[in-house]
Amino acid sequence: MTENHATSESTTRDEQALEALLYRLADDEFVLAERYTEWQIYAPTLESDLALSNVAQDEYGHARLWYDLLQDAFDYTEADVLWEREPADFRHSTLCELPFADDGWGDVIVRSYLYDTAERLRLEALIDSSNPTVRDRVEKVLGEEDYHREHAISWLERLAETDEGNERLQAAVDRLFPDALSLFDSGPHEEDIVATGLRTETLDDLRTAWFDTVIPTLEGHGLTVPDPDDVDRPDARGRDGSHTDDWFDMHETFTATYHELDFDQPTRLRGEEA
Amino acid sequence: MIWEVFRQEKPGDYHRHVGNVHAPDRGMAELFAQIQHARRMTTNSLWVVPQDEVSEIDAEDANFGGTTDKSYRWAMTFNRVDASFAAEVAESEDEQREAAKQREEADG
Repeated sequence: MTENHATSESTTRDEQALEALLYRLADDEFVLAERYTEWQIYAPTLESDLALSNVAQDEYGHARLWYDLLQDAFDYTEADVLWEREPADFRHSTLCELPFADDGWGDVIVRSYLYDTAERLRLEALIDSSNPTVRDRVEKVLGEEDYHREHAISWLERLAETDEGNERLQAAVDRLFPDALSLFDSGPHEEDIVATGLRTETLDDLRTAWFDTVIPTLEGHGLTVPDPDDVDRPDARGRDGSHTDDWFDMHETFTATYHELDFDQPTRLRGEEA
Repeated sequence: MIWEVFRQEKPGDYHRHVGNVHAPDRGMAELFAQIQHARRMTTNSLWVVPQDEVSEIDAEDANFGGTTDKSYRWAMTFNRVDASFAAEVAESEDEQREAAKQREEADG
């Protein structure tokens, strides 16, 4: 944090809220993209492989926007926000970190549908953010999100048409729904995120809007959605830094090359700063 | 099922064949074509067509005829006539030359 900014108490509050908001956004996108890439060369067809890879690339791009903003706002390096950050400091929802189920394309589709619907809602709640740099980035991100939802819903409709597809989707809903609820769990400084107008909706309101969309849609495709009040929630919530063991394995894997190469600073592709 | 994909770069351009995608139906074909053949390229419009709906005429059928003398189609008789005897013809030829020159310049 720069010296001239950390002087008054209210400025500190603003900055802490901004930092917390940005980590929620960035970590979700990065970790989910990282999971998606496990499907490369394994997706059901070449076309579906390319489509999911594209979605993953978009999510990496969005993660980059938010991590860059963290670096600009707080004088962090890329290593600080990503490569050398403690895994227990990551704030993504546990939905993003779960490994895919063994027979998993239904898992990919349901996960993407649940996530991308939540993502649209939370981005829309940032369009009028009190922070202009957040507002600027939201436009860019929203432009790419339509395809993600269309992709997920198109697959969902088609898989739901057959008995086998329906079974796989149902298994994915049963498995993922409890973790998806952590998308709307609060993390650090949540009250200030809303009080300072960084986000114009509370997490409770976003969750309600999400239920109003995903529950009727899934039920409309013949799937049973657990009653949110009766869901047995896992201990790990992600947003507060508690994670599943799978996350720690995953973190070790994606930081392995960074540590192995031991560069002075992470390399960037030519022109990537542009 | 295979869907042939045609991309138009700018309004007014022809849609050019750029490849195909495998997809079970039109909706998925459009989604896949968008990723593989539209985004990251200059794209004004994309046509996605079921391969079965594309009719082909092969070289054998396309190249018929040309076996009889049809040189009369090539009206060469009036080439290289000195048109100076008729002012309106000379003017018209000048105009045509000028127009041809401008077209060439415009094409770069």
